[in-house]
Amino acid sequence: MARSLTNLYDVSKCTACRGCLVACKDSNQLPAVIEPFKGNYATHEDTNGNTYTLIRFIEHEDPVDGVRWNFLKWQCMHCFDAECMKVCPKNAYTKTEWGATIHDEDKCIGCQYCTYACPFGIPKYRKRTDTVTKCTLCYERVEEGLKPACVRTCPSGALTFGYRDELLQQAEERVKMLRANGFPRATIYGKLELGGTNKIYVLTDTPDKFGLPVEPKVSANTWVWQDWVQPYAGWLIPIALAASATSFVTNRILDSKKKNHAEGGHE
Amino acid sequence: MKWIPEYRDDVPRVERFNLIARITHWGHTVTFLLCLFTGLILFLDGVDWLAFIFGGYRGAGLVHRIAAVGMTIMLLFGLIAGFKGLIAWMKDIGRFGKNDIMFLSIFPLDFFGVPMKFPPQTRFNGGEKMNSLVLLTMVTLLVLSGYIMWFPAIFPAGLVRFSYPVHDLAMIFSTLMVCMHGFLGSFHLGSGESFWGMWKGTVRADWAQHHHAIWYEETYGDKAKSEEE
Repeated sequence: MARSLTNLYDVSKCTACRGCLVACKDSNQLPAVIEPFKGNYATHEDTNGNTYTLIRFIEHEDPVDGVRWNFLKWQCMHCFDAECMKVCPKNAYTKTEWGATIHDEDKCIGCQYCTYACPFGIPKYRKRTDTVTKCTLCYERVEEGLKPACVRTCPSGALTFGYRDELLQQAEERVKMLRANGFPRATIYGKLELGGTNKIYVLTDTPDKFGLPVEPKVSANTWVWQDWVQPYAGWLIPIALAASATSFVTNRILDSKKKNHAEGGHE
Repeated sequence: MKWIPEYRDDVPRVERFNLIARITHWGHTVTFLLCLFTGLILFLDGVDWLAFIFGGYRGAGLVHRIAAVGMTIMLLFGLIAGFKGLIAWMKDIGRFGKNDIMFLSIFPLDFFGVPMKFPPQTRFNGGEKMNSLVLLTMVTLLVLSGYIMWFPAIFPAGLVRFSYPVHDLAMIFSTLMVCMHGFLGSFHLGSGESFWGMWKGTVRADWAQHHHAIWYEETYGDKAKSEEE
């Protein structure tokens, strides 16, 4: 596998201008989705069929620090071990050489298995095309040597794009700096979570303060379903059919020897 | 070659299933098979041709849901209209005992056509009791998990995720049972007469006496007759 190319998102540099959201819509030709006002600055509650990325606004009260207001750019994490890929019955998901999880809309039948398997609940159904959609890590742009649209537009330098190993080093240095400068709980997210994601966050606080699952896990249900039920349990049905077919034949062979079993079955 | 035992009205016959039971049974047959063949499109790889029969994936999904609602209606119909019969059925399943275990242990030989001498059985023999129990449970699970997956927004995410393997497993076990049940209830020479019990409602009296001795004695035997009088 080639070196992974990825996105580093540094919360401490983000001003929540939402330029990334607009650039994403522009680049992917997605229409605006207007959601009702919910009493905070968030434009959208969650990703939807026409919104691949958004900025989340999370307020929380800390007994020591008082009220904290956190932003988080929210989109597909491009997990290396992607659940959406595993559960998709039509194999619409693929992984590029450099680590983007991409979704082929031509193969998608809109069953939404991925929506509920995803530990982050990212893929969403879009009625207009009767398919699921999600962030593509702008693989078409990246393969032409360009940066993803969100990175290109980011005015504050919160988003950077490059090789994952280099960005991880950069992130670690940044976390060290933050910890020494008033953010003792600063951390990296996406380095180890779910076996590594092709999207790295530098957070100024623990992941739960950003509405992120602290220890995202693959649901045991998904595991049982995909690794056990799907490949093996189904064989019980052909076995039953084969047994019936055999019985159909042996019944008639044995019956021809013994005349009246079928006739009311009298011995 | 003989497909199923022929229907004979020149011999004495006794009622085995009333009209409500038969409507419920065949209603479930149609809806179950529709759901099965539309559902297999997602479960198996390389059965796209199945989708085209139903007018593509969208059409198959629609047929699956319509049939599922039909199945729910049949379930409720059986539960409400056939309540007395359902209780009697449950009671008979509850009579699982030594005779049923003996039945089950020698049944595999009979299944392949070796004539066996079975201990007397109640209305439903050991195998039928198992079939009843598994299908009742699995169809209920299928319906419940199906609605959870159909309307995921109103259920907790964990329950929705849990429903996927449950739906698949319930499908597998019920289809397994349906395959065996469908075969035994028609093409199997020894038990094929029971097809007429579900199709026309009656079975040959001598067959009932031979295959379900306890039930026959209790319902149509001399003792039952004398009690009626």
